[in-house]
Order: sequence, then structure tokens, then C-alpha cells
Amino acid sequence: MHLADFLRHELGLTGTHIGCEQGVCGNCTVLVNGQAVKSCLMFAPQADGQGVTTVESLGGEEELHPLQQAFKDAHALQCGYCTPGFLMAAVAIAAEGRKPSREELREELSGVICRCTGYENILTAVASYLDKREEVEALGG
Amino acid sequence: MKSAPFSYVRPDSVQAALRVLDDHAGSARVLAGGQSLVPMLQMRLMQLDALVDINVLEGLDEVRAAGAETVLGPLVRYATIEKLALVSERLPLLQCVTRYVGDPQVRNRGTIGGSLAQADPTGEIPLACLALDATIVAASLSGTRQIAIDDFLVSSYTTALEPEEMITEIRFPLAPHHFAFLERNRKHNDFAVINVAVVGRRSNDDRWSDLRIVLGGVSDRAVLAAESAASLEGTTLEEDAIAEAAQLALDVIDPPSDIRGSAEYRRHLVPIYVRRALRKLRDDHQHAYVA
Repeated sequence: MHLADFLRHELGLTGTHIGCEQGVCGNCTVLVNGQAVKSCLMFAPQADGQGVTTVESLGGEEELHPLQQAFKDAHALQCGYCTPGFLMAAVAIAAEGRKPSREELREELSGVICRCTGYENILTAVASYLDKREEVEALGG
Repeated sequence: MKSAPFSYVRPDSVQAALRVLDDHAGSARVLAGGQSLVPMLQMRLMQLDALVDINVLEGLDEVRAAGAETVLGPLVRYATIEKLALVSERLPLLQCVTRYVGDPQVRNRGTIGGSLAQADPTGEIPLACLALDATIVAASLSGTRQIAIDDFLVSSYTTALEPEEMITEIRFPLAPHHFAFLERNRKHNDFAVINVAVVGRRSNDDRWSDLRIVLGGVSDRAVLAAESAASLEGTTLEEDAIAEAAQLALDVIDPPSDIRGSAEYRRHLVPIYVRRALRKLRDDHQHAYVA
């Protein structure tokens, strides 16, 4: 059983989506020990002893995580199927503490495919989140 | 699609892993990064009795300087190769090509050992290892052996590894100081239609030696254009010499026709990309890759 199926069926964490099961769409992206990984390409026992972070960690309907708010503000999702993959890829980039340029960000997010948006709003959302985060950190938040 | 059922085995030592491979006599494979193997299992292009997970084994992910040689363990991830200073200093071509492999998620998990074992004819890692004249160390229950990269790469997705062997080291001799790498894809992050790596040494009076020209995607494995490179020994890579070398490169190719392009198209691209790569080698004075 691969990790994506394990998260969804065994743990009931259905935020992680399966788009291709071949490792090309990236919709299943989660963090393993803080690194972005395609969960359909890992088998469940490989997660033994590892830290796995899914989109459910970002908050929920009551209160959106600032990254999710940024996606909402920038209209960075339509059907939303790829969104958890992009959110987790963005969390991994943010955690590295870098602020890539828009072109670099395009590369960094190239492992998740979107059929709806044409990507520009996704880039805007992630870029604005990284900007705001920098400000918040500078203010000691 | 889901993979066909298999046993998942997580041995606690290389020896234990080799025993499992030996026991299964060809129907077991090593699981490293899984970025090529697992898609094949999931598409049912391959069915196995057992997967031998080596990810927890210690000591297989080291990068170390051994005199003039640089030695990488099979579990060194692409992401590590991309960032490690030791690789920047000693194997900048390897670092350069890694940026073209897959996408960030693939690079977090995929490994140099896995890439070599996969032997994709368009693979950037096999190409770079051929350009850098690497040696693969393979272990089995009977011991270890050293396999020159040119012998290791046999054909499409086929290597000289026996079913009961696993890669334990990739050894690189001192790399020539100058290199260039180019790749053509139909779309971003796609497998290459063609890629080319060139390495060489430039003397104080701009004469070139120890040149190697390697082409990927234009045969059933990465190929060395030996005569092409030999024709350039001692030259300053002037345009006439480059043009001749580009034509000679056609002698070593046997391009496929596939979904990414016809054989004719690849044949058309070979001299163009060889010329461009040699010009880049000659004219670039930094080890920066070209997007």
C-alpha cells in the first residue's frame, strides 16, 4: 500500500489527493521529514519512524492558514484538486527560509501539475505568502 | 493503477540485502528512491516478488574525497548532489545535470545508484557518469567487482548488474576542469529528446586535451563520440574543427523514433547540439548551466 493510500484510507486524511499514481502529477505531495515528496511513490512501511506532514496540518475551515488565505486571495484554485500538493510544496520552500524569484518559484513548484488555473495565480499566492512571512518574521512575529 | 502484490523487505545490513536478492534469483529489486521503480510497478510494467528497501542502511549515502577520486554511495540523493560543496568543487558536471532531473520532489528522493541501475537512455546521471569515466562498484554474496561505466551501461534500462548484485559505490576519477551540458526537452521536466555533455582540459595557450563528448537520447544508452573528441585533441576548438567533430558524432548514434521525436529529428539535432556544446565549452569561463 503506498503512503497516499495509507494516509487517505487508514488514517482518514483525505486532504492528500491521488492524480496519477505514477509520480508525474505531484497532487499527492506531502512532507516527509520536512521535504516535499510524492506520497504515491513511497510505500506505507517506509514512513515508519519518519515525520509525515499533510495538508491537514495547515488549519481548517474555522481558520485558514496564511498560505491558504493567500491562495484564496489570489484565486489560486478552481477545482482545488492539485491545491494540497501545491500547498505542501510551498510549505517546504517556506521552511527553507529562502525567497525565490518568481521564475525560481516556477521551477520550485514545477513538481505539481494544475489543469485549471494556468499557474500564474498559484505563483502569485505563494510569492505573496513568502513576502508577508518575511515581514512578519522581521517584526519578530 | 496499483502495483501487483509483492513482499516488502527491510534488511538491516548490506549483507542481509544481498541475501534477499540472492534468494529471489531475479524477482527481487532494490528500492532506493523509488522515483523510477515505483512508477514502473504501479503501471505494472514490472512485477516483483520482493522489494528490498535499502533506505535505512547506514553509510550508503556518503560523498567523500579519496585522494584524487571522489566516491559517492548509491543512496546519495539528487538534492544532496545539487547542493554539496564537495560536488561543486570536484564534480561540477554532475551537479549541473542533476538540476535537469525530474522535479524537486523527485530530487528529494531519487538517488544516483537508482538512476544508474535504471539506465534510462535519456538519463542525465548515466550521461554525466560516462562523461566523467566513473566506475561502478557492485556487491553480491560472492564479493565485489568494479565495472567501468562504459561496460555498465548495456542497453535501454539494461545494465551489467547481475540480479543478485547491488551498487555499493560510484567512483569518479579527477574530473577535467571544463565542461558544458545541454539538453532539449519538448516540455519542462520531461525526459530529454537529446542531451550532450562535453568535458576537457584547456591549456594556457587555449589548446584542448582529454576531451570527451557524450550523447544521450540518441541510442539505446548514453554513447561516447570517441572519434569526434579525438579529432579535437590539440585544437583551440575553432569553428572548422567543431564542425568536423559534430559530423563525426553521427557515427556513434542509432536514434529511436518515439513519442518525443523521430529518429530523423534526433539525427538532425545531434550535430547542432554537439556544435553548441563545444562552443559553450570554449566560450564559457564559468561553470554555470544554461537553461
